[in-house]
Amino acid sequence: MIRFDGAGKRHPDGTIAVGSLDLDVPTGRITVLVGPSGCGKTTLLRMVNRMVEPTSGRVLLDGTDVAELDAAKLRRGIGYVIQQAGLFPHRRVIDNIATVPYLLGQDRKKARARAAELLELVGLAPETARRYPFQLSGGQQQRVGVARALAADPPVLLMDEPFSAVDPVVRAGLQDELLRLQSELNKTVLFVTHDIEEAVKLGDQVVVLHEQGRIAQLADPHTLLTAPADDGVAAFLGRDRGLRGLALRPASTVDVRPTADGLRYGSWELTLDDTGRPIGWIDRAADAALLPAAGYRPATDTLRAALDAAVLSPAGVAVALDAEGRALGTATREAVLAALSAGLPAAPAPAGRTTTGRAEDAPATDGDPDGATGGR
Amino acid sequence: MDDEPLVRWYWIGDHLGYLGGLLADHAVIALVPVLIGLLLALPLGLACARFPRLYQPLAAVFNIVYALPSLAVFVVLIPYTGLATRATVMIPLTFYALAVLLPTTVDGLRAVPEPVRQAATAMGYGPWHRLAAVELPASVPYLVAGVRVAAVSSISLASVGALVGRGGLGYLFIDGFQRTFPTPIVAGIVLIAVLALATDVVLVTARRLLAPWAVREKAVTR
Repeated sequence: MIRFDGAGKRHPDGTIAVGSLDLDVPTGRITVLVGPSGCGKTTLLRMVNRMVEPTSGRVLLDGTDVAELDAAKLRRGIGYVIQQAGLFPHRRVIDNIATVPYLLGQDRKKARARAAELLELVGLAPETARRYPFQLSGGQQQRVGVARALAADPPVLLMDEPFSAVDPVVRAGLQDELLRLQSELNKTVLFVTHDIEEAVKLGDQVVVLHEQGRIAQLADPHTLLTAPADDGVAAFLGRDRGLRGLALRPASTVDVRPTADGLRYGSWELTLDDTGRPIGWIDRAADAALLPAAGYRPATDTLRAALDAAVLSPAGVAVALDAEGRALGTATREAVLAALSAGLPAAPAPAGRTTTGRAEDAPATDGDPDGATGGR
Repeated sequence: MDDEPLVRWYWIGDHLGYLGGLLADHAVIALVPVLIGLLLALPLGLACARFPRLYQPLAAVFNIVYALPSLAVFVVLIPYTGLATRATVMIPLTFYALAVLLPTTVDGLRAVPEPVRQAATAMGYGPWHRLAAVELPASVPYLVAGVRVAAVSSISLASVGALVGRGGLGYLFIDGFQRTFPTPIVAGIVLIAVLALATDVVLVTARRLLAPWAVREKAVTR
């Protein structure tokens, strides 16, 4: 565990980067520090590996004040990933990854074998090993940066906006990869970002920081999105935080009507090809062209994806797909809404109206309130 | 001089051995100082990168040295190192090489991107170790560029040494001028150009071997 014990940093010119912070970073979990630039989050991160020395208070690593440890030795035991990857331009990918094992005096052959394993672990092709950093895309460089940080199998990983410099699609891929890695490796991760969306996606616990490292809120992502501590945090979270909260919840809770039970909704009918993949929606009443069928994968997607597919569909019905893209069944907007209201505090019914009235329009089954879990 | 052709080929044919000897002497006088200058510039440059306060005074000293006319320095040295000795010419040339190579070494080390430096520190390199294992190899393209400038300027400057009796191919210019006989002058110019070109080819090859990543990087960004 990393413990910040009244840790503060005052620059020689008197400006205060971090006032005084108390924070526990639990072992084996991802803790995200999020806040606007200048809130001291990077300073805090660097206190852990002594790239910044606190001017007050202490930082404890498993109970030991890091100030008492030799800086170079301490750092070899802590993985570090930064925004621009910071790969060594003169070393091939394999030797970049093996940097810390070499520094620890490991045998070259053994270190390279380990580096090759890590290359695979972060999803890079074996032939990447012989390349130089400049021959890689930004996303690939970042993967190498993560592999290099993991090479000596450190229990602690510090990540300073590691995915901020890559485009959104690559970033989402890298985030998913990090979550997959973390489910296997269970590192103690301290992750810094200015992107609240990233914080909410990755964090087991999210620390929203104001300027000078003051904690505005410390919560799990679900609590953060549904119950921000104050208006400042709410503003930082953005206006659609309710919708974004859906991205934290699995789509598997949505009730799906199996394909065998029929594919017709009113005049709309879903057509499938021979292999069971959806082709599109046909309006039997209008004899119009086929409209595309939006789908989601219940096994891996979130409620947000399911809702999105239902909103996009002309029939108001999302298609549930298996890993190969074959239709498992269909889910109406009402089914998706039922799944997303499950697990939330019940909304008081407005006077004079029932909230279930519209569900009768569609042949959807009711949402299963017990199936929803909510949050990660 | 009006009737004198630019090149009398028979003279060159008659003096091949002599020209070869001057060429070899010129190469030693001009290039050994560059090598020594590099060997001095590396530790000095590393020290300046580690302790930045050193750099300004050192750079000032070498700039002043570089500004001194080479002929004046040769003449001043004669009482100590002797007339027509290699040392008289090579000592100033070493300082000129150093004056070029110290700034390129320091600039090269400083040009290493900050994220690379930070990553190296965070991986657990101490300051000296980081300079030697990360920043120095990463600045090889800069170093080679500096050595190329220093080598060419040294090859050119070495001919001035002929005025104090030891200038390799430079002697051909004095000889040709005194006899109003252009052939040795032309031969000297051509041989100096050939020496400069050959040196450059060797240095570019050295860069390809030492920093293959930098060569390919250039090709890609073009």
